Amino acid sequence: MDAPRSGAPPAVGGAPGIDRAPFEQFLIHEARLLDERRFRDWMALFAEDGTYWVPAVPDQASPLDQASLFYDDRDLMRTRVERLEHPRIHVQTPPSRTAHLVGNVVVDEADEAKGEYLVGSTVIMVESRDETQRVFAGRQRHRLRRAGASFLIVQKRVDLINCDAAFEAMAVPI
Amino acid sequence: MHNGGADDIAKLIEPGRVHRRVYTDPDIFELEMERIFGRAWLFVGHTSQVPQACDFVTTELGRQPVIMTRHRDGSVHVLINRCTHRGAKVVNERKGHSPRLTCCYHGWTFDTDGRLVTVPVPEGCAADFDKSAFGLARAPRVGEYRGFVFASLSPKGPSFEDHIGPMKRNIDDLVDRAPDGTLALDAGMHRYVYAGNWKLQVENVLDSYHVPFGHASTVNKQGQQFARREGDRKGATVVEADKKQTAASWKDRKSYITGNGHGWTSNTTLDEGKRSSPAYDAYKQALAAKVGAARAAEILTPRLHNSLIYPNMSIMGLNIHVRVIKPVAVDRTEVTIYPIRLVGAPDAMNSGNIRLLNVTHSASSFVQTDDLESFVRAQKGLRSLGTDWVDISRGLGDEEPDRELNATRALATHEMVVRAQYKAWTGYMREAA
Repeated sequence: MDAPRSGAPPAVGGAPGIDRAPFEQFLIHEARLLDERRFRDWMALFAEDGTYWVPAVPDQASPLDQASLFYDDRDLMRTRVERLEHPRIHVQTPPSRTAHLVGNVVVDEADEAKGEYLVGSTVIMVESRDETQRVFAGRQRHRLRRAGASFLIVQKRVDLINCDAAFEAMAVPI
Repeated sequence: MHNGGADDIAKLIEPGRVHRRVYTDPDIFELEMERIFGRAWLFVGHTSQVPQACDFVTTELGRQPVIMTRHRDGSVHVLINRCTHRGAKVVNERKGHSPRLTCCYHGWTFDTDGRLVTVPVPEGCAADFDKSAFGLARAPRVGEYRGFVFASLSPKGPSFEDHIGPMKRNIDDLVDRAPDGTLALDAGMHRYVYAGNWKLQVENVLDSYHVPFGHASTVNKQGQQFARREGDRKGATVVEADKKQTAASWKDRKSYITGNGHGWTSNTTLDEGKRSSPAYDAYKQALAAKVGAARAAEILTPRLHNSLIYPNMSIMGLNIHVRVIKPVAVDRTEVTIYPIRLVGAPDAMNSGNIRLLNVTHSASSFVQTDDLESFVRAQKGLRSLGTDWVDISRGLGDEEPDRELNATRALATHEMVVRAQYKAWTGYMREAA
């Protein structure tokens, strides 16, 4: 039998006193833009200096000295989105249909004075395309900056649980 | 395919066409694994992947799992990743560092040169058990050139020099770009798979014909591809914007063959005079400081786009990388792409190369994904019984000698390189191992 507990219960994480609802709502909104293939609107969620990073190995320390599945700044993101809109993108003929589920949202760090936050969550994306359905799952980390009533993404990092696997072609962001 | 006799093989290949069965018949695939991947010189890895004694990486030569190790004496070994006791794969990590390689099943333990060192409960071994006979099997032949390690799984056949010799200058073209004269394949890897035959990827790497249409989604309204090199403001012009046709400069590209199935394509026309960025300029200076300005300018004049070292690897000179092709099944292939770090170049230059490779050749890139779609659709189409033959006749008869390069030349939008690959293929396939 366990020894009787004494003192405070173990911390469960998360920045104290922060309401996670607006962050959760933001992440749900982002996922919805991707599922609706509103890639330009999705890109507009990113700050001008924002980046989208999907590492290719677990615990990858840097996108600068190692290969990544995605490491887009706004310029590369724009090229990616223009390509997704191109009528002759063969790998999206027919297009992917996706369903994102975002959960387990925790505001891990909050600097209210600067309006900067680090939000952790779990993402599952099911993708169906041309007879094949597959699942992507992983941990997300959104570094957000407050912008008026909402946020801008400074960095979105998605650590897929199978990030170092060999993948069939991936055309849409996770 | 019943017995794989020379006559059966010969019937599959004609001067300008090949039978669809070379892509779809599982029996032919098994013969390829035995007769091509079982004996050709195959790229294994680069010595920079095992810089220190007791470093190892694991990979596959075709379907054969191997370990490349650095032994304590500095030598590099290519060992078969299979315990000599009951057959379990010994090393399960992609890379690591260990002075001993221990099988998880019964604990047999091998040295980094493959020698069997320890057998648990040795008193149970047969009286005449000889540990020296139970070392890890090794690739019978291993060769290296400027860090590029190749192995043949057959004790006989053309020498390393005979096979790789004609492609050494293509390796030099890349290695010479490193200010310190050496490369490092230590920036991770991209891995992708597709539901198609391995030859679809091999044929694609030197195929300039597919680019304007197959990669249309990467071409902007001005007919230019996005910039693929550090310091470039824009990419190659592949389509004439007004005519919606393949650009004249693209049609001028050349391809070359030099026997053994190898080949390369000439550089893409880019405006070298305008290539500039803080990272690129610092790199150019670093190179010039080591080799002199004249030699640096010569090295940085692009000559090569892609080079194929048949049958399993290519080197890209544009946005630099090494690609390794691994057949898994007749209709499944895995490919590994290694970014290249130019040793002695500024970090920002190497970072730029690594970042651009993410968008050209990863599983989620702008370029490679449309190729993968073409490979998958080719495999689906080739299953149909409608037509038995695959046409590879573009430019047949228009090949010409290039005496300066000791090679044969053709327009890169022709299919000479594919015909050359099938000539090498037939050479391997018609002879029983």
